[in-house]
Amino acid sequence: MSKKSNRMNNNSIKIILAGEGGQGVQTIAKALFNAAISAKYNVSYIPSFGVEQRGTPSVAYITLSHGQIRYPRFEFADVALVMGERAMDRVAGVINPNTKLIFDTSNMDTKNLKKPWVKRLGVPATRYALEKFSPKSYNVLMYGALCKELGFDPKISWDSIHSILKDKFKTKEIAEMNHDAFSFGYEIVFEHKNFSKPIYETKKTDNIFRNAEKIATISPERCKGCGICIEKCPVKALSFGEDLGVFSTPVPDINLEKCIACGNCRRYCPDGAIKVDKK
Amino acid sequence: MSETNKKLVTGNEAAVLGAIAGGAEIMFGYPITPATEILQNWAAKSLDNSSLSYLQTEDETAAGFCVNGALLAGVKAFTASAGPGHILLQDPISMAEMERLPFVGIMMQRGGPSTGTVNFSQQEVNLASFGGNGDGLRVVYSASSVHEMYTLTTKAFSTAWKFRFPTFVLGDGYLGKTEMLIELPKLLKPVPAYKILKENAAAPTYLRNCYSDEESFGSVLDENIKDWKKSKHAIAESESYKLSGINELIIAHGIVAEACKDAIDKMLTRNKKIGLWRPITLNPIDSASLIAAAKKVRKIHIFESALNQFARIIKYELAGLKLDIIEHGKPARGFTPEEIIEEIMQ
Amino acid sequence: MNEIMPKCWNCNTKPHLFCPGCGHGITLKHLGYAIDEMEIANNVTLGIDIGCSLLSWNFFNFDTIQTHHGRTNPTMVGYKMANPKRVAIAYMGDGGGYAIGLQSLLHAAFRNDPITVILVNNENYAMTGGQVAPTTETGIVTATTPKGKPVSFGPGFHGPELVRCIANDKAFVARVSVSQPEIIKLTLKKAIENQIKNKLFSFVEVLSICPTNWKTNAKESFNRLLDMEKYYHVEEIKPNE
Repeated sequence: MSKKSNRMNNNSIKIILAGEGGQGVQTIAKALFNAAISAKYNVSYIPSFGVEQRGTPSVAYITLSHGQIRYPRFEFADVALVMGERAMDRVAGVINPNTKLIFDTSNMDTKNLKKPWVKRLGVPATRYALEKFSPKSYNVLMYGALCKELGFDPKISWDSIHSILKDKFKTKEIAEMNHDAFSFGYEIVFEHKNFSKPIYETKKTDNIFRNAEKIATISPERCKGCGICIEKCPVKALSFGEDLGVFSTPVPDINLEKCIACGNCRRYCPDGAIKVDKK
Repeated sequence: MSETNKKLVTGNEAAVLGAIAGGAEIMFGYPITPATEILQNWAAKSLDNSSLSYLQTEDETAAGFCVNGALLAGVKAFTASAGPGHILLQDPISMAEMERLPFVGIMMQRGGPSTGTVNFSQQEVNLASFGGNGDGLRVVYSASSVHEMYTLTTKAFSTAWKFRFPTFVLGDGYLGKTEMLIELPKLLKPVPAYKILKENAAAPTYLRNCYSDEESFGSVLDENIKDWKKSKHAIAESESYKLSGINELIIAHGIVAEACKDAIDKMLTRNKKIGLWRPITLNPIDSASLIAAAKKVRKIHIFESALNQFARIIKYELAGLKLDIIEHGKPARGFTPEEIIEEIMQ
Repeated sequence: MNEIMPKCWNCNTKPHLFCPGCGHGITLKHLGYAIDEMEIANNVTLGIDIGCSLLSWNFFNFDTIQTHHGRTNPTMVGYKMANPKRVAIAYMGDGGGYAIGLQSLLHAAFRNDPITVILVNNENYAMTGGQVAPTTETGIVTATTPKGKPVSFGPGFHGPELVRCIANDKAFVARVSVSQPEIIKLTLKKAIENQIKNKLFSFVEVLSICPTNWKTNAKESFNRLLDMEKYYHVEEIKPNE
């Protein structure tokens, strides 16, 4: 692996984005694509995913160039944006010592980073999104950080993602919050070492709830946060809690005093992640 | 001591006898000329032989998938078809190619493309060898006589169950309908069938053909290709006919090769030094034997009842050799020995 | 049965890859409970289609064969013919069953082939991104009907009713819904019994939800399902008297 730049010619920048399906990776990719065109680049963008609609990594390859672009994929990325531990697997083969890896320290333990020698730029993005903005603005925040790293103009960058998402912003407040999330990401100071701890990982053990009559078992490792159990509970004993499930969505907690052990949650859960037993 | 049986049979009837000798138990098929007699004959045989059964399905695609299902259960099953039915079979054959199922098909070529004629051609070579959306990991035997319709069909089952590639006997409408007295030699015991879905709940068999990413799919394909390359030598077969002292070579397959043999015998009486190299397997080709034959000459004639499906396969193998190769392609029409002589003597 | 998941589910391949809130998960769970209660897990072979059903390729503790789109029925017909002692289940979606595979579904019913067919109907082609399906009702917006399913594409497809017209009187044909999972379990048991005891054909359609392509949350998904049940009746479909 050479110490020279990865750029085949001095004019192209190769970017790989990777995250869980549903995290909005392709939205970032499309926004970047449009912003780059406004910045007068030639751009190519190709998404890469498997057959599953959800639950497996969503990846995008983007090439920016002032010359002609022929082939949409590349051997090594100049910049990689990784939004979760499982997504790291898809990126590991495309990075080398010249790659800058922007990653979410909130849900990725640096111990598990596949290439420890890569230039790591950490952002505790999930924590910031959850604490300051909203879970859905997570990708907007990461997009801001990426645009800053690429040196894109902030207004052009925001306009680009806003035009894609504006119909999803149901109120003016939500639109403003996302703009704040973008700006926050754009202003971020990356962590280069002493990375924040990953606190938003899937809880690996079952949650057991007990009272005199009942035991409830809820398994974050299988819970995908679909909310069906909450919907089907006739006494509203279930509500989303603090733990994160396998797709980083909140896992329900149960109020056993309200629960009547009707069996609906077990019956309806598509993933076998919850049940209540009468003692 | 070898026992032989003489029987007056058509090519299609010989195929049925070959399938039974090969251990086949179930046939799935749909009527299509010129292969229909195979299904009918098998149906008739099943009346007296309780180990044989069959289903005439709603179409050839369903027939092929029924074959796949029976193979998974560990039973030797097969189908027979032609032309448009051969096209419809590419869907199930592709599944067999991916999942390494011992699919056996007897394909009786007819004029194409489209409905064409029901009579004859050699235009399904591409379809049998490289059809579907894979890379052609299929064994194709090309039968040149009623006798070979028997022996190659029997062999096809053992090849399929031993090496686990879809295996075809390519015949044609003339062979299917030609009636001849043939000897049915007593053949070796066929390779036994075995369960592919192993029915072991402690370690279930999961067979899939859909993968989510290029690399993991690529590794599976690479493994299959490795097996294919390893098996080629054991599977590839050919015949060399009167090659000593030749300065010209004919390359042909199937019934056209038999006509070429007649032509060669005549030309030899006129002191023309010409012989025939005939592949018995079109895929994999017996490359070593082909190259050895080609090296004896400067001029090669390739005869086929198609434009150049067969010629392309041969030319791929002979690339790099200094040769004058003349293609004699006549789509959907046969060659008499006299025509062959005329084309060569020109 | 009060297990958090069926015993015949392969727990090593969980969490499975179906989307959050997918009706396949609910259906496969109650198929699993049915198989547990009938104690036949050692004897089941499952055939699956292409489409979201393919995600169940390593789902259960029994042999599973992924076929081609619309071809699960003939594969299981051939399998059962070769090995009549196994319980052959064919599992597919509305595309594999009612579009590309309709011919084979109808002929299996027509011949009374002793297989059990389970078809999950979520009114769209989900795996490829939510295109229109035969069971999509008129006016519904999908990826290939951006202004709503036109009348010229046909109304919503009543599959079990069609199968009933062509099937043997003693075949078992029914429609159930993921709104009533216990009924799914009971009905699948009846369907499988028809294969084991009577050696006859059985067909069960399961009305299902698809939050990803419907773009609905849990509440909205089950509300849409209620609407579906007005058009597609949940009942055993018996032969005309």
